[in-house]
Amino acid sequence: MAGLTLNHVYKRYDNSGKKKKVKNDFAVKDLNLVCEQGEFVALLGPSGCGKTTTLRMVAGLEEITQGEIYIGDRLVNNLHPKDRNIGLAFEDYAMYPPLNVYGNVAFNLRAKKVDKAEIDRRVREIAPLMQIDDILDKMPVKLSGGQKQRVNIARAIIREPELLLMDEPLSHLDGKARQAMRTEIKRLINKIKCTTVYVTHDQLEAMSLADKIAIINFGVLQQFGTPAEVYDDPVNEFVASFIGEPPMNILETTIIKKDGMFFFTFKDSNLQIAVPRRYYSVVSDGFRCKMGVRPMDVMIGGENSHGTPEEIATFENLGDERRIGIHVGDILLMLITEDEKRYKRGDIVKLEVREEKTHLFDINTGDRIREKN
Amino acid sequence: MARIQLENISKAFGKVQALDGISLDVKDKEFFVLFGPAGAGKTTILNCIAGIVMPEEGVVKFDDQIMNLTDSAHRNVAMVFENYALYPQMTVYDNMASALRSKLYKADESVIKERIQWAAKIMKMENLLERLPSQLSNGQKQRVAMGRALVRNPNVFLMDEPLAHLDAKLRNSMRTELKEMQANLGSTCIYVTHDFMEAMALGDRIAIIKEGKIVQIGNGDAIYYMPCNEFTAQLMGDPEINLIEAEITGTGNPYSVQFRIKDEQIVLELPEDNGVYAKIRELGLKKIHVGIRPQNVKYSFEPKEGYFKASVYSYESIGNKSVIVADCGDVFHNQLRMIAPNGLNVAIDSDVYIHLQLDHAIFFDPESRKYIVRYDEAAYIALAAAQEER
Repeated sequence: MAGLTLNHVYKRYDNSGKKKKVKNDFAVKDLNLVCEQGEFVALLGPSGCGKTTTLRMVAGLEEITQGEIYIGDRLVNNLHPKDRNIGLAFEDYAMYPPLNVYGNVAFNLRAKKVDKAEIDRRVREIAPLMQIDDILDKMPVKLSGGQKQRVNIARAIIREPELLLMDEPLSHLDGKARQAMRTEIKRLINKIKCTTVYVTHDQLEAMSLADKIAIINFGVLQQFGTPAEVYDDPVNEFVASFIGEPPMNILETTIIKKDGMFFFTFKDSNLQIAVPRRYYSVVSDGFRCKMGVRPMDVMIGGENSHGTPEEIATFENLGDERRIGIHVGDILLMLITEDEKRYKRGDIVKLEVREEKTHLFDINTGDRIREKN
Repeated sequence: MARIQLENISKAFGKVQALDGISLDVKDKEFFVLFGPAGAGKTTILNCIAGIVMPEEGVVKFDDQIMNLTDSAHRNVAMVFENYALYPQMTVYDNMASALRSKLYKADESVIKERIQWAAKIMKMENLLERLPSQLSNGQKQRVAMGRALVRNPNVFLMDEPLAHLDAKLRNSMRTELKEMQANLGSTCIYVTHDFMEAMALGDRIAIIKEGKIVQIGNGDAIYYMPCNEFTAQLMGDPEINLIEAEITGTGNPYSVQFRIKDEQIVLELPEDNGVYAKIRELGLKKIHVGIRPQNVKYSFEPKEGYFKASVYSYESIGNKSVIVADCGDVFHNQLRMIAPNGLNVAIDSDVYIHLQLDHAIFFDPESRKYIVRYDEAAYIALAAAQEER
């Protein structure tokens, strides 16, 4: 059974008063999404892409302009948020300052007049899960950001919701606290197996937490798939460059034919990369498109390499790995290596590209160009 | 262009000793990084150099001249802050010109124009000059703030976490761009950061600051491979280095390390290395902390010779690779981190078998937490020295 279904969902913010017609004024446009029961789905996109709007529609905090939303098999379009059986955890903790942690976690159950002993049992059950058992007596002002977010999430899950909604719960936290909290969230969801929708603009968070990622841009769903799918098989240039750090190198290219073989060539550069055979059916001599290749699939060749000689523009030693930038026309082509060798700006190296890992994108639309079967 | 020296600088704010005997010697045209956790005193050091904060003790020198009594306007330093501090009502061009148009400089408009065009080219923002700050992205704003500093031809650039405001991806690409500009900067630069990747990538040398004191100064390789204590080792590297409490057993023929994981005793032979063995013998070590970076911990999901058993606490992608955290009971602060590829099918709480590549280990004193020795120390000293020469 599906945990959450979005069926042709639209959202237009009604700015009554301003009658000006703006083009493409949908905050969310024809969104179709099916999250399976117990699945952890991340809504990922740049700020303003409509991911939070989507979450708020699911929560019932925002009206749905058009389309249907089902939680389980219940149509919830006209249900009040409190009747939707959802747990919410937002970036801001919004705790009740006069109540201690216990009181905050228990608050919703008390409001529902749940039996006192039952409340106590549930708080004690959840506290160790969120590692807040030793701070139950503390007041919110005494808590660190990480602890506050733990309490916040505990509050959301104590109601045993059918659906858990989280909106950037980690963005208030700094580096290490954030990483630790990410691990905790992952373990928690794994344990309680609650269908979860998680909004983030951080691709790394989405990649490391989610079973599936919905990538949204300008209110339109771009791709919905597992982390491996969106990383290895992006549907367009936007997804390709949004997922991964450093991002995929994307270069404009003109394909030329030489001795019966096709090569990618680049403006103001000697670099030539063989076009993988599988694309031979879709390219031609003089074909213009964009070529994408991930920094891990670009390498510095050894002494006997047949790679193109290129000059190093940047060399960054990051300890665990090294990043090298090489100018191809006016684009800085990045590569990552764990090789121990130290280079410096100006060194000439032989550049190799794993041709079979290159992607082709339409030069105008950015859509992926795929081989024909 | 100047050599910047700090001699024994101390500064207290009320009861808090912000700086405690800081001495630095930044060479002319050096890119020098101050690196440490929040509240370590990094920004206070910058402020002492800029003349915004007066040290209670110690001397600030520019090119051997004592600057303590020179006010900040006359020190000719350029500062770049985390929050850009651009004039919102002025175009990028006017923002960049603002310092040179001030009473202090009153430069000729033609000179200003020339300087701005030069700076704009280095910062790759020639097309932004007519825009207002509100029409810029955060990355562009920071570029303008840096360009504005560049225009003045200062004695020294002081940059206080210029990239900290930006999101992770933009921060990394701006760092790469900054690295590219470095060669054209031709000026002394002191750069404050709490991001170890920025410190490693940008710094000719790095000073690690903790609680108002300098912990270690060296180039990236020296600090990464030979951290002077566990604190530094933990700062340099993400995920953090693993530290294992172990006992040393054996006669030196060979030596072994012994530690407990849950209820099991693990004994691992230490690979032969003259430096390591000599140090153990010389110091008569019984207990030791073994530091192993996550990339030197190998895993298997099947039992294997030389591997010991633990359980998977988490498996998470950190970008182009993933981290497995293994639950190891009481030792290792419960957890051991190791690098794995993305996309493995790993169930949480399932068994994992672990192998430590001890021939990459760094050893620390369990009492003082200071560096003792590492494997292949001589080779790494040579590597670090080779970087120094550049």
